[in-house]
Amino acid sequence: MSKRLDRIFSQPAKGKTRLIAYLMAGDPTPETTLRRLKGLADYGVDVLELGVPFSDPIADGPVIQSAGERALKGGMTLVKTLEIVREFRVLHETPVLLMSYLNPLLRYGWGKFVKDAVEAGVDGLILPDLPWKEGTNLRTETKRLVGTQLSFIPIVAQTSQEEDLLELSIGSQGFIYVLSRNGITGGEAEISAKVTGFINGLKQHTQLPRCVGFGIQTAKQVHCLAEYCDGVIIGSAIVRQFSELDKKELSELELRKGETEILEWVAEINSIK
Amino acid sequence: MTTSSIDPVMKIEGRTAGRFGDFGGAYVPEILVPALRELAKAYESAQKDEAFQLEFKDLLQNYVGRPSLFYHAERLSKHLGGAEIYLKREDLNHTGAHKINNTLGQILLAKRMGKSRIIAETGAGQHGVATATACALFGLKCVIYMGEEDIRRQHLNVLRMRLLGAEVCSVTIGSRTLKDAINEAMRDWVAHVEDTFYCFGTAAGPHPYPTIVRDFQTIIGEETRRQALKELGRLPDTLIACVGGGSNAIGFFYPFIEDQGVKLIGVEAGGKGDAIGEHASTLTLGDPGVLHGSYSYLLQDDDGQIMMTHSVSAGLDYPGVGAEHSYLKEIGRAEYVRVSDIEAVRATQILCQTEGILPALESAHAIAHAVKLAPHYGPSHVIVVNLSGRGDKDVETLEEYMERGEYHE
Ligand SMILES: Cc1ncc(COP(=O)(O)O)c(C=O)c1O
Repeated sequence: MSKRLDRIFSQPAKGKTRLIAYLMAGDPTPETTLRRLKGLADYGVDVLELGVPFSDPIADGPVIQSAGERALKGGMTLVKTLEIVREFRVLHETPVLLMSYLNPLLRYGWGKFVKDAVEAGVDGLILPDLPWKEGTNLRTETKRLVGTQLSFIPIVAQTSQEEDLLELSIGSQGFIYVLSRNGITGGEAEISAKVTGFINGLKQHTQLPRCVGFGIQTAKQVHCLAEYCDGVIIGSAIVRQFSELDKKELSELELRKGETEILEWVAEINSIK
Repeated sequence: MTTSSIDPVMKIEGRTAGRFGDFGGAYVPEILVPALRELAKAYESAQKDEAFQLEFKDLLQNYVGRPSLFYHAERLSKHLGGAEIYLKREDLNHTGAHKINNTLGQILLAKRMGKSRIIAETGAGQHGVATATACALFGLKCVIYMGEEDIRRQHLNVLRMRLLGAEVCSVTIGSRTLKDAINEAMRDWVAHVEDTFYCFGTAAGPHPYPTIVRDFQTIIGEETRRQALKELGRLPDTLIACVGGGSNAIGFFYPFIEDQGVKLIGVEAGGKGDAIGEHASTLTLGDPGVLHGSYSYLLQDDDGQIMMTHSVSAGLDYPGVGAEHSYLKEIGRAEYVRVSDIEAVRATQILCQTEGILPALESAHAIAHAVKLAPHYGPSHVIVVNLSGRGDKDVETLEEYMERGEYHE
């Protein structure tokens, strides 16, 4: 896997656990996204997940759907998303994963995409409409072109069965993205004994770190999950707070102050002082 | 577009389940993988189960009213002055379209799988009505997703669904048509996959839907074949069907695919023009990509975003298409053409006035192509048009055209 990503999981967590934060690229502008990515990294976020907007996001709830709509309305594209990563890389070593539906990547051309992504400083891919067993060709081709510089992050659901998990353990890298529940992004997940049992059970199938996402939005959830897994992913809760800020008519100074408060909240829920 | 438009990384070697050449597959969230596998297994066992097949056949005969008529449209043929035109009368099915063939099959599967809640998307409302009907017949809870724009223009069908006891959920995001209704239904399924069966309405979507839907609709082509042999003593020369997601067309074409002498023509919605957002001509103007779980032709912009579409007929207003049609196009076995809104409206008028039959606006696209084609042939050429549905649902849309004076030639 990419060195940057490897480093995160081979070292102890800075806070309660490793925190992975999501932003939609270009919501509301590429400049704002870049500034907020840097902010999240500076406030102790371990891994950044950058969404590529898509017109038909079937795995996303209302918060991320709206973020994607705003980004597309502002003219956001895959090319501009890679540009954000390139600029972020000038000063930051925090790993960046692209979260994208397949079609924009296929349209760009897979071979060109993986080379450009690595060159820009992307460390891995989370592809919500590519189940592991459909991805064999794409993974083989990616490995041929860029080796292990680009990790495919597998997604595991509680509906996944023995045979799915067995396939996952072959050729996966980085960490596995464990869904806290069946459903789309957003809302609030209940961390039940069933969920923690499922997370624990995954150890039988994989040595990879397990990070849990979907519906994580409180310090209590983070602290509880920290006992069972290697990291948590926070998406909609961050996107929603930034978008509420963007809705207000604020001076530049007020906007920055609001952003800092959100960044402090992110650090705080992972107990980073 | 030629084969070169397929990204080499999407090439599939050998024959794989759920693939039509390089097209098809199941590009869905991981959560749905076990559900689709369970569905494929249930379908496989149902196919081998005689009791299931008998129950399905019995429903088609005694509830839907099959076989549907193979009707010689003599006055229409005379009016056009060329080929002889026959109509496969799917409009005479219970609930008024071909959709019921597929929904009854899928609801029987749902029952077999022990699912208690049924969800479906609908564009024109015909699949919604057919699903609500089958759910009423089997006492199952039914939720239908429908775009706000389609709820407006297919209001009659919304009322029918509600009368049948279904809950109709208005989809108010994106283009507010069929594409967005499918997005919402998928999101619902992801969240309720344990007890919910997704009754998919067309031959698109992830594997195994394109195969299941095709098989349940193949009755259209099988009957047509039998009826043509009986009444004409031979196979037809040309088959014409409209293509939205492609279910009526694939069910009509499938039993004829090996008969190279039979020309297969799919008709897409040409809408108002060639510009982005003015049409829904997926196979004729699109490129391959991934939408709604399948690798197939679709209408997309240079960044891979799905385009807005337009068609006077809600059932054809869709930027994707079933993977098997992409394959038939790629290998040159079927031809795909487009018909504009106005041509479809005029064809509706012609069929009404020559034969006393009011076609659905979707089906009117197929009629319109027959209207164009017939004069190029003599009476020894037999064209069969699949009249996929009746037009009662479209009278308000037609009235708008009449009032705007765009109805007459
Ligand atoms: C009467 C009728 N014909 C055709 C269609 C198009 O669907 P398909 O291409 O799946 O047959 C519809 C869809 O709603 C319809 O209602």
